[in-house]
Amino acid sequence: MGLVQIGASILTALLISVLTRDLWRTYLLLAFSVLAIYWFQPLLPLRSFDFWLPSLSLALVVLTWLITSQSGAWRIRQNIIGFSIIFGLVTLIDLSRYFLPDPIIIATTPPQFIQYFVFTLIIGLIILVVTWISHRSSWTISGAIILLILLLVILKTPELSLKASVFFRALENRQVENASFTDLRWLGFSYIAFRLIHVLRDKQMARLPELSLAEFATYVVFFPSLVAGPIDRAERFAQDLRKDFALTQDETLLAGQRIFLGLFKKFVIADALGLIALNDTLATQVRTTGWMWIIVYAYAFQIYFDFSGYTDIAIGIAQLVGIKLPENFVAPYTKPNLTQFWNNWHMTLTQWFRSYFFNPFNRWMRGFRNITPWIMILIGQVATMLLIGLWHGITFNFILWGLWHGFGLFIQNRWSDFIRTRYPNLGQNTRLQSILQIGGILLTFHFVALGWVFFALSESLLSWQVFRKLFGL
Amino acid sequence: MRKVLVILLMAFVSALLLSACGSQNKNAPAKAVEDYLNALVEKNSDRLTTLSCSDWEDDALLELDSFQAVTTKLDGMACQQSGTDGDTALVLCKGKIIATYNNEDQELDLSVRTYQVVQQNGDWLVCGTR
Repeated sequence: MGLVQIGASILTALLISVLTRDLWRTYLLLAFSVLAIYWFQPLLPLRSFDFWLPSLSLALVVLTWLITSQSGAWRIRQNIIGFSIIFGLVTLIDLSRYFLPDPIIIATTPPQFIQYFVFTLIIGLIILVVTWISHRSSWTISGAIILLILLLVILKTPELSLKASVFFRALENRQVENASFTDLRWLGFSYIAFRLIHVLRDKQMARLPELSLAEFATYVVFFPSLVAGPIDRAERFAQDLRKDFALTQDETLLAGQRIFLGLFKKFVIADALGLIALNDTLATQVRTTGWMWIIVYAYAFQIYFDFSGYTDIAIGIAQLVGIKLPENFVAPYTKPNLTQFWNNWHMTLTQWFRSYFFNPFNRWMRGFRNITPWIMILIGQVATMLLIGLWHGITFNFILWGLWHGFGLFIQNRWSDFIRTRYPNLGQNTRLQSILQIGGILLTFHFVALGWVFFALSESLLSWQVFRKLFGL
Repeated sequence: MRKVLVILLMAFVSALLLSACGSQNKNAPAKAVEDYLNALVEKNSDRLTTLSCSDWEDDALLELDSFQAVTTKLDGMACQQSGTDGDTALVLCKGKIIATYNNEDQELDLSVRTYQVVQQNGDWLVCGTR
């Protein structure tokens, strides 16, 4: 999101909260979120994909809502309105090619109406058939989860993304030699997919409350959290939507402070640090150990200020419309151990993995009596961190980053256990406690900062060269 | 429910009619060239390739690469269709591209070229120059 988009989002949020109440607030939030998903989508070299990809996101939202809601829910007036808003706006965006000299919502001219018509017909038929099956078979939900994971795998694996781009270019009679794995930059899909999987899993576990289409779709594509999260929970989000909300002066001030803080973090601190932060080019150019440490530190702070800045902006804008998005970062670099770091870094993502992978996986492992607890901890932590790494991208460096943190968490867990049993009275010595606390913070920060070497660079060989320079080898 | 379906159907039929009228836009080839030139000076390779036909894609990127080291802007650009050659629309442009390097301007006259524009799947795409 650029400054213009952030500014427009703030203005829209203010207008919505001042002008509307109750259901109208939900409808307007949905309408702007639908427009935002097209507006925020970057231009792609594949023709009209800046229209097709957001449209597919919305189709997935409608499909997921239909298979997770009660049979016949689509007949309720509120849901018909929700559907009309989504469908009407998408149709209007497509039709804008005929009455606007230049595209304003999306980056390029939308596709021909006949193409959109065929797309809508096919997607509509698929949705109808899947919904019909879903009310007769519980396997549809599992199928939807698999489909979402499959899409994520394709988008996150450079080789598969490249193949997909080649396929689409061939379909358009374009030169396939110019295809690149970056051609399919589907805005916000990682977050959209995780929100949808959360809803689908909760439906499977019979703990999902009934949500209207407008509430559901607004939750999934809510414009402040579309690009960089946080990943909220559907039932909590819907509660905020249903609350009678009137924007007070205090709330406006608090939201304004939060947005300003976010803008400062992102556009002043993070962007300035970005000039000297670790990247592929600097990694090869920097020759001295001292400078290498500086660019690694710069990256560690840049990624924090960038990401937490975006989160602050999202939380602030959401606050303006009465939505209290969950926190995502709580001073993670001041935590004395890795477990606490991960409890305070990208918290909503780690909570998601804890709820939908780590806990069920551990419960499943407990069924095997011959697995000792420490092996269980090792497998659980390494597997979870590996998946978190893969969520960022299916590349060797993200695997290494996941393993780095997985083994780090395991070693820290065993160390803490050892210290607790060996020195039970350690907590009584306050001086020693303070020293350990400071030492822990420094150690944790450096462990995390070194982990960023895998995260920031594209090649593992380059990461290895950076490590060698960092330690003067 | 029936009412909603009727409204949706009517809206779609109207949209189809609207799209049929809209696609007859006579300035579309010239507009395609203007967009192409804008993408070129903005060095937006993604946009440039979506505005080029398959055969011209590589040439378009090559042309863009030639501008990488300089700052570019358009001056007085205006394009107009000058004729047709079979299915190809011919477009002439006025104005110039100003390429600046080290405070030194170089002007590239746009009128020396005739752009060949073809229609594919309803979109006009730049497909070469004469």
